[in-house]
Amino acid sequence: MKCRRPRLTRWLGAAVLLLALACLGGCVTLKPPEEFFELTPESPANKAMQTRFFETGNERELLSAAAAVLQDLGFQVEDVEREIGLLKSVKERSAREYGQDIGRFMVGLVTFCYVRLPMDFHQKISAVLVARPVDRNGRRSEVRVTFYRVVWKSDGYFERTSIPPGEQRMEMIYDPLIYQQFFAKLSKAVFLEAFTL
Amino acid sequence: MRKTITGWTKLLLAGLLLAQGCVAPQPGPDLLAPTDAQMKLRSFQSRTFEVTDRKAAMRGVIAALQDLGFIIERANEPLGLVTAARFTEPDNLSVVEVSVTVRPQADGRMLVRANAIYNRSPVDDPKVYQNFFATLNRSLFITREE
Repeated sequence: MKCRRPRLTRWLGAAVLLLALACLGGCVTLKPPEEFFELTPESPANKAMQTRFFETGNERELLSAAAAVLQDLGFQVEDVEREIGLLKSVKERSAREYGQDIGRFMVGLVTFCYVRLPMDFHQKISAVLVARPVDRNGRRSEVRVTFYRVVWKSDGYFERTSIPPGEQRMEMIYDPLIYQQFFAKLSKAVFLEAFTL
Repeated sequence: MRKTITGWTKLLLAGLLLAQGCVAPQPGPDLLAPTDAQMKLRSFQSRTFEVTDRKAAMRGVIAALQDLGFIIERANEPLGLVTAARFTEPDNLSVVEVSVTVRPQADGRMLVRANAIYNRSPVDDPKVYQNFFATLNRSLFITREE
């Protein structure tokens, strides 16, 4: 009995410490607004990934070809501002993945159905494309495209508290392969070679 | 005794009601007049650029915002308006929305004005606008060089 007591207090101490650490982990510092307007070390790489140059001065042709390519990829053209070469398009798809299904099942199994994790349920993928001339003699144009997605989560519950569906998050898409595939299709559509600087 | 108290209470209540009627604020003629703070904010938010083509200036604004990782939400050429947003990655905890207008001045140069909103409250820190205009300047300069 005598030696049990210190062990108990030690355990309690450890539990308190863990709780305090968990509380500290919850404290997050928000990114100040001025940092949103500063270039990051990744900015040039992202720009290179999202940009290609074409040997043509006809940026309208590029814009309409891009609209056709995006339609081929299942996007709906949402908005066009021809005068400044901007095109926005969206595509809505299911966001379900098997990995999350398995994860949800395993968590349910381990917690005896006390926890049902919300999963990614629906997504809206958007493409913002800008075509602009970059050469004064009108022989070269630049196309920059940015893909991003908004993901909606399904419902779930934690013990008896239900988590309503519809929680959403945004993600920029940084997979170089997606950009390469898009530009390969675009260069085929305009019969011109896409190149980087 | 009881009667006098109720009488006093009535009087007091009437007085309070009257006093409340008196403090109703009256909008003065200077309600819409700009304050010093607003004038300062406007000067932070505006800058004139040595560009004569409005479309080129708008394209420069779009390119600068894209370089900074913003998503272009809307652009309207006749109004000279560009709106964009950027959120923190990957946690989505804060978001900055910016609307930029490009207007030609009497001397033909372009006046660019930016308004930023950080998590639904307006940004009045000059540093934010300095950073934005520095990137815009670079973007317009590169466009001209090419």
